[in-house]
Amino acid sequence: MTTPPLRPSVPLVSGPRAEATPDAAFLASLKKVTQYYVVTGFLALLVGILLGPLQALNYAGINVYDYPVLRALLGSYYQGLTLHGVLNALVFTQFFISGWMLYLPVRDLGVRINMRFAWFSYLLMTAGLLTAAVPLLTNNATVLYTFYPPLEGSPLFYIGAGVMVGSSLLVAGQVVLAWWHWKRANPGRVTPLVAFGSVATWLMWSIAALGIVVEVVVLLIPWSLGLTSGVDPLLARTLFWWTGHPIVYFWVLPAYISWYAFLPRQAGGRIASEPLARLAFVLFLIFSVPVGLHHQYADPNISNTWKSIHMLLTFLVAVPSLLTAFSVAASLEDGARARGGRGLVGWIRRLPWGNASFSAQVLAMTSFIFGGAGGVVNASLAFGPVVHNTAWIPGHFHITVGTATTLTFMGVALWFVPHLTGKRLFGPRLASWSVWLWFVGMMLFAVGMHWQGLLGVPRRSQMSATVQNVYREMNLAVPQAITGLSGVILLVGGLLFFWVLFRTLLSKRVQDGEAVPIPYSEAISPAGENLATASLLTRRTEPLLAISVFAFLLVLLVYAPVLGPMIADAQLVPGVRLW
Amino acid sequence: MAAPHRPVRRLDHRTLERYENIWLGIAVVLLLLLFASVFSSMISGTFPLLRGTGGGHAGGVTSGRVDPRNLAATPFAKPGLRENADGSLEAFVVARAFNFEPAVLRVPAGRPVTIHVTAADVVHGYYVTGTNINAEILPGHVASFTLTFRRPGEQSVICNEYCGIGHHGMITRVVVDPPTARSRP
Repeated sequence: MTTPPLRPSVPLVSGPRAEATPDAAFLASLKKVTQYYVVTGFLALLVGILLGPLQALNYAGINVYDYPVLRALLGSYYQGLTLHGVLNALVFTQFFISGWMLYLPVRDLGVRINMRFAWFSYLLMTAGLLTAAVPLLTNNATVLYTFYPPLEGSPLFYIGAGVMVGSSLLVAGQVVLAWWHWKRANPGRVTPLVAFGSVATWLMWSIAALGIVVEVVVLLIPWSLGLTSGVDPLLARTLFWWTGHPIVYFWVLPAYISWYAFLPRQAGGRIASEPLARLAFVLFLIFSVPVGLHHQYADPNISNTWKSIHMLLTFLVAVPSLLTAFSVAASLEDGARARGGRGLVGWIRRLPWGNASFSAQVLAMTSFIFGGAGGVVNASLAFGPVVHNTAWIPGHFHITVGTATTLTFMGVALWFVPHLTGKRLFGPRLASWSVWLWFVGMMLFAVGMHWQGLLGVPRRSQMSATVQNVYREMNLAVPQAITGLSGVILLVGGLLFFWVLFRTLLSKRVQDGEAVPIPYSEAISPAGENLATASLLTRRTEPLLAISVFAFLLVLLVYAPVLGPMIADAQLVPGVRLW
Repeated sequence: MAAPHRPVRRLDHRTLERYENIWLGIAVVLLLLLFASVFSSMISGTFPLLRGTGGGHAGGVTSGRVDPRNLAATPFAKPGLRENADGSLEAFVVARAFNFEPAVLRVPAGRPVTIHVTAADVVHGYYVTGTNINAEILPGHVASFTLTFRRPGEQSVICNEYCGIGHHGMITRVVVDPPTARSRP
């Protein structure tokens, strides 16, 4: 199933918090593999965001795809869009998270893992990426990142994507197993917060990834190879969204780990409450998977009753997000007041806004408030038809994954890369500029796109090349101008960020990476060290494996009545290539 | 800005916990109210999903299956509006890269019309501007919704699910004739 059969050849060290005396060679090796994950992720992001302004210009009503230079590079607007989506939303996130959430729990628990296996997972994931890249770059898989059949891409695309996603499960397995060994060696101990959050996230992802793995392995690969006569498009879509919604929490939870555990320290404050943070992760583990149908409100042949049930569950996922908003804001306030902040809101000025790593993450959270509010609209069965498949949707996810995830990871990288490499951050002021520009660009993009969506502009459409009058009648001038401007701002912000990142990476190693410590924060309400004396909430949240079994059963409960009739009724449709 | 650092009382565990619980309560109540309001909207028919029929420019999606390779054997063989013996109106629309058939759908204002849409090749979208008719159109599946166009005039129909290189040109119209016209396809 999800946990691969894994027998570490190097025994896992047990002792309590072996972290205190890390084996230098092991640590160097762990840092190296983590650095490879992170840098590969950022390289994907670089290519992905270079294609971003082209989307923004299209939604500004400017068709640039007939210029000879672009013609030579891109088969069409849709090829550019496919690359933009796959590289930013799937590749960047997958690689960064795999590195981030391998390194953190291993450090936090002070355990040793099998480094050969860690490298094997990285190489397999990269091999998957390169395999999928061939058809993507040669315009043979222009099916967008949702790859809805029966639009049929090259089998290499599905195989590569399958291998890439599958290898993230190897990382998940390695981390969960390492945690399990730590538990066995430390009976009665409370799992430290960072490791707890990482393990909860990996367990959630293991359940969530099943949908897409089954879709790709059972339906799409045999079909694209010509071994089966067709695919039922509804069944494939439903399996896709089994993974497709929780994947957004897989993007956000690693950012939450930083917001909960590290950001308070960066602000000079303390974690508000460790037990509450643990509760938030457990609620995400349970509620973020059984909600995928809210992406399918407009699909025929799915019962409205089950759509409604998924709607209620989707609303419930907002609870841990709201808890996080409270808890993280409280920890920032604690920091600002300790630094002399006064007044009901005046304390905000005392936060360390000049520190780009800090401000990137707080700006990410700020725009995520609007993203979350829009998400509640999307999740509503009543509002669904107003915004479904319109430009509102990309407007929404650019201030969720584009900031909560991407901007947070950018901010994290500003300390994490120096920590991993021992190199000094290049140009802290430039870094500040880059993250503020990114924030402003994303907010403007969101305004422009939400606005256009409400007026009826569809998403994923080369609307700038549409010959019919429909968009000229919609009064789009203002939102189009905002969208176009946002693309330019984002390009400048993105290029500045990569300038800082690559100048840092390519500079000489000047210090021991440990000189830039992981900013572990103290807590106002700590979870404690021993389960026996810990609070009820801490004790109840500790058995993550049992909780994930419960989560899996809940997923089966809400998906079996939906998938059952689809499988019984499946009608295979042959594939078509239409680009 | 150079206010002197005075020792401040920092947040303590007990106060924080009280606020946390209040906030958690507010969050849960807020979301249950949200659910209740969507649900009451379903029951009252402000939007019509559970009933399958609706008033105003509103549409729900009900079910149906056809073989996309054999549309000739179904009512989709002749796309367009038809009046049944009992006086009810049904419209059949086929989405096929990169057109809708019929190219222009004419419907009378003020009478309920049931629109059935299916796709002949890949996934398309059926979005009527200025309304909340917005459905995903899958080959092999029929999306159906009943609604009444109240005001005469024209509305655009946009394919809003990526379907290939000509996706952005897949746009057509619904023409709503004045109620007296009793139009036929």
